Amino acid sequence: MRLSIVNVSKTFPSVKALDDVSMEFAPGEVHALMGENGAGKSTLLKIVTGLYRPDAGLLKLDGELVEFFSPRDALAAGIGAVHQERNLVPRFSVGENILLEHPPGRRGFIDYGAIYDRARVLLELLDPGIDVRAEVATLSVAQMQIVEIAKALSLNARVLLLDEPTASITDHEAEALFKVIARLKAEGVAIVFVSHKLDEVLTISDRVTVLRDGRVMASGEAIAEMSRRRLVSLMIGREERIADVAGGAKQGKVALELREIATSYGHSGINLRLHEAEILGLYGLVGAGRSELARSIIGDGRITGGAICVGDRPARIRNPNEALRRHRIGYVSEDRKGEGLVLSHSIVSNIAVTIWRRIATRLWLIPPVVERNAVTPQVQRLAIKSFSLDQTVDTLSGGNQQKVSLAKWLAAKTDILLIDEPTVGIDIKTKVELHELIAQIARDGAAVLLISSDMAEMITLADRILVMHNFAVVGEFVNDRIYENGSEAIMSAIHAAEKDRKHLHDRAAIA
Amino acid sequence: MIGFRKFASQEWAGLAAIFVLGSALAAFLSPSFLTEYNIYVMLRSASVELLVAFSQMIVLAIGQMNLAVGALGGLVAVLFGAMLQLLGLPLPLAILIALLIGIVGGFINGLLTTRTGINGFIITLATGSAFTGINLGLTESRPFHGIPVEFVALGDSRWSFVPALLWPPLIVAPLLAIFLYRTKSGRKLLAVGGNMRAAELSGISANAMIIVAHAISGGLAGLAAVLAVSQLGAAQPEIGSTWLLISFAGPIIGGTALAGGYVSILGAMLAVLVIALIENMLVLMKVDPYWVRFALGGLVLVTVGVNRWRAHQMGRN
Ligand SMILES: Nc1ncnc2c1ncn2[C@@H]1O[C@H](COP(=O)(O)OP(=O)(O)OP(=O)(O)O)[C@@H](O)[C@H]1O
Ligand SMILES: [Mg+2]
Repeated sequence: MRLSIVNVSKTFPSVKALDDVSMEFAPGEVHALMGENGAGKSTLLKIVTGLYRPDAGLLKLDGELVEFFSPRDALAAGIGAVHQERNLVPRFSVGENILLEHPPGRRGFIDYGAIYDRARVLLELLDPGIDVRAEVATLSVAQMQIVEIAKALSLNARVLLLDEPTASITDHEAEALFKVIARLKAEGVAIVFVSHKLDEVLTISDRVTVLRDGRVMASGEAIAEMSRRRLVSLMIGREERIADVAGGAKQGKVALELREIATSYGHSGINLRLHEAEILGLYGLVGAGRSELARSIIGDGRITGGAICVGDRPARIRNPNEALRRHRIGYVSEDRKGEGLVLSHSIVSNIAVTIWRRIATRLWLIPPVVERNAVTPQVQRLAIKSFSLDQTVDTLSGGNQQKVSLAKWLAAKTDILLIDEPTVGIDIKTKVELHELIAQIARDGAAVLLISSDMAEMITLADRILVMHNFAVVGEFVNDRIYENGSEAIMSAIHAAEKDRKHLHDRAAIA
Repeated sequence: MIGFRKFASQEWAGLAAIFVLGSALAAFLSPSFLTEYNIYVMLRSASVELLVAFSQMIVLAIGQMNLAVGALGGLVAVLFGAMLQLLGLPLPLAILIALLIGIVGGFINGLLTTRTGINGFIITLATGSAFTGINLGLTESRPFHGIPVEFVALGDSRWSFVPALLWPPLIVAPLLAIFLYRTKSGRKLLAVGGNMRAAELSGISANAMIIVAHAISGGLAGLAAVLAVSQLGAAQPEIGSTWLLISFAGPIIGGTALAGGYVSILGAMLAVLVIALIENMLVLMKVDPYWVRFALGGLVLVTVGVNRWRAHQMGRN
């Protein structure tokens, strides 16, 4: 089906999110939609799926005027979507979530067998490692993202909208998704693909539309004729900059050490040493247990064996509060909506939460002016797009929300910072700023443990890289910041671990 | 124009408008409405209710509910009466101890909630029943009448149409506002209400804030009870038994989020006043008191519905 968007505008209180935009998504084509954080991409997709109503303009399907009053209408017309924010029912199983819109069954009874069978077929395409019977609440953010994609695939949509589907998954899982996209494209589905990852956009899409501040800068141009340079300058108005992250600080004493750590999540025999002024990368495929390890360190998950030392002293960290107060360890969650932000509170309040203690006066009062002054530099440096610092965070675009959840920890100035997927959904311009900020924090002496599924980011930032697989550390190397060397070392560590496991498995089967 | 827009976008703006229009209507319908004495009576009954609303509001702020507000108030009232009549304690000391009992009662609610991990709704359902049990067991449903005359007189005194009893809630309201919006603990409390996981990962002890909220709630319920004793002239065991509806209606009509993380103190105050106004009108028009309760229930449904509709419009248009 061909979907046309004609002269659509949408204004939120105080922001014109879309200003007279027109574009066309053709069947059998992958159409990339690009633009900075807050450019209006998600707003456009929400209009197409009936979540928002446009203030002006119209939508046409195969030349016929259509009007959607709710997501149900859009679904019925054959438009499916993966939204930027997760929309899963946490206490339902993976299978039920995937087939939530149209669960198989008879006479009002759900047929669980059929649900699991059908869901398994869909997941098989993307990530066979996810159990269809598992409760969604037990999955990692990346796994949830894959479940969302499977859910959209189950709709057999004729127009498929993907809002940053690859934001929190690794290249490995993204490859699987691209194969599925290629197949759908061959079947004549119109695919709209939003992403901040330039390389994948240039490889998989046929056309690109660029938005800037709600206006169309380029409409449906052929990718073949678009250079990376031109695309960047259309998006951000100037050329791409390389992050200046030159290390050079002398690595200090050991700040955090794990010895033979085992956890209730299933880690075993984890050894790790993190130094002051060092960025230690933790890489692994989806489900490798990286976030879970970070959580266990701050006491949000039980340590069942081994020892943790902070500085040179053994530590027992029972909860995140103790981690922060007593040991000065901060954890930036990868789940900004669930664990990073208070969506109904202002930007100021969200960022300042970690520094209230520091700025409070003797009477425990927090002077608003001091609070604002304390957060303003972070907001400017990260270019958080808002019309006021008092704007509530739920009205920010996804990337800007992510910036707020990071800004709060950059303001906290902890000795040890565990950062989980810092640049998910952040545009290329701010990503450079963020990389420089993280490098700066380390240069200033903090010990940083960086978890990222973005291999390029890992190789840009990390001094050393640990590779995890299946809840164990399977490799470690000093990162020379050359992409080919780094990715080679990482992938071979993962493959070796896979082989070992198969081998063991086979032996066990024989015995 | 912008000033007006800003005013109109506040959730309490509608209530302020209702209050003004309602007063005008009441004055038109009944000549006795705009008398000094009638307004005094109306404000006097609102005094206790304001504190009751605040007591619930602070627990709503952390995303929980307190079903024991009335039961705790009743218990504090009779213990306050007993201290005055049986023990002959001096009035200021008795008031102080009464407030402390309220705080301790709330503290117990908070402690049980955090220790067991059971939701405050269930815990306060249980402790509320327990508080009432102690109350009735001790008093066998008989009130204490030995209240010092000057304290009862205080409950009746007024300055023009302003009752003396209105001062405690008028002092508590700004204190609450400063606490919630300007102090570290208050901000943390709201953060816990807005997103408990995020607050915890930011190094805030959610349990501590839950206990603080319940303790403040208990203290306010205790203060409301002391005022009620002064107003009624006796420590009656049934004080608090009718507080449940107003405790929720005030904050929620006023715009406090049921899910937690956001309160509107001014909104809650206006809501209580609007309710007092409606009750007053119905009384002046000699409507059966049972229908007054019916009207109150209807009002809650209508205003909550209107707020919901408005939020929907703002998001959609
Ligand atoms: N519900 C809302 N209320 C007010 N403003 C909003 C709302 N939703 C979005 N906006 C604003 O509209 C603009 C466009 O937001 P949108 O989410 O479409 O950006 P985006 O291009 O998807 O960005 P990102 O790459 O960060 O996801 C932003 O300035 C944002 O703050
Ligand atoms: Mg977006």
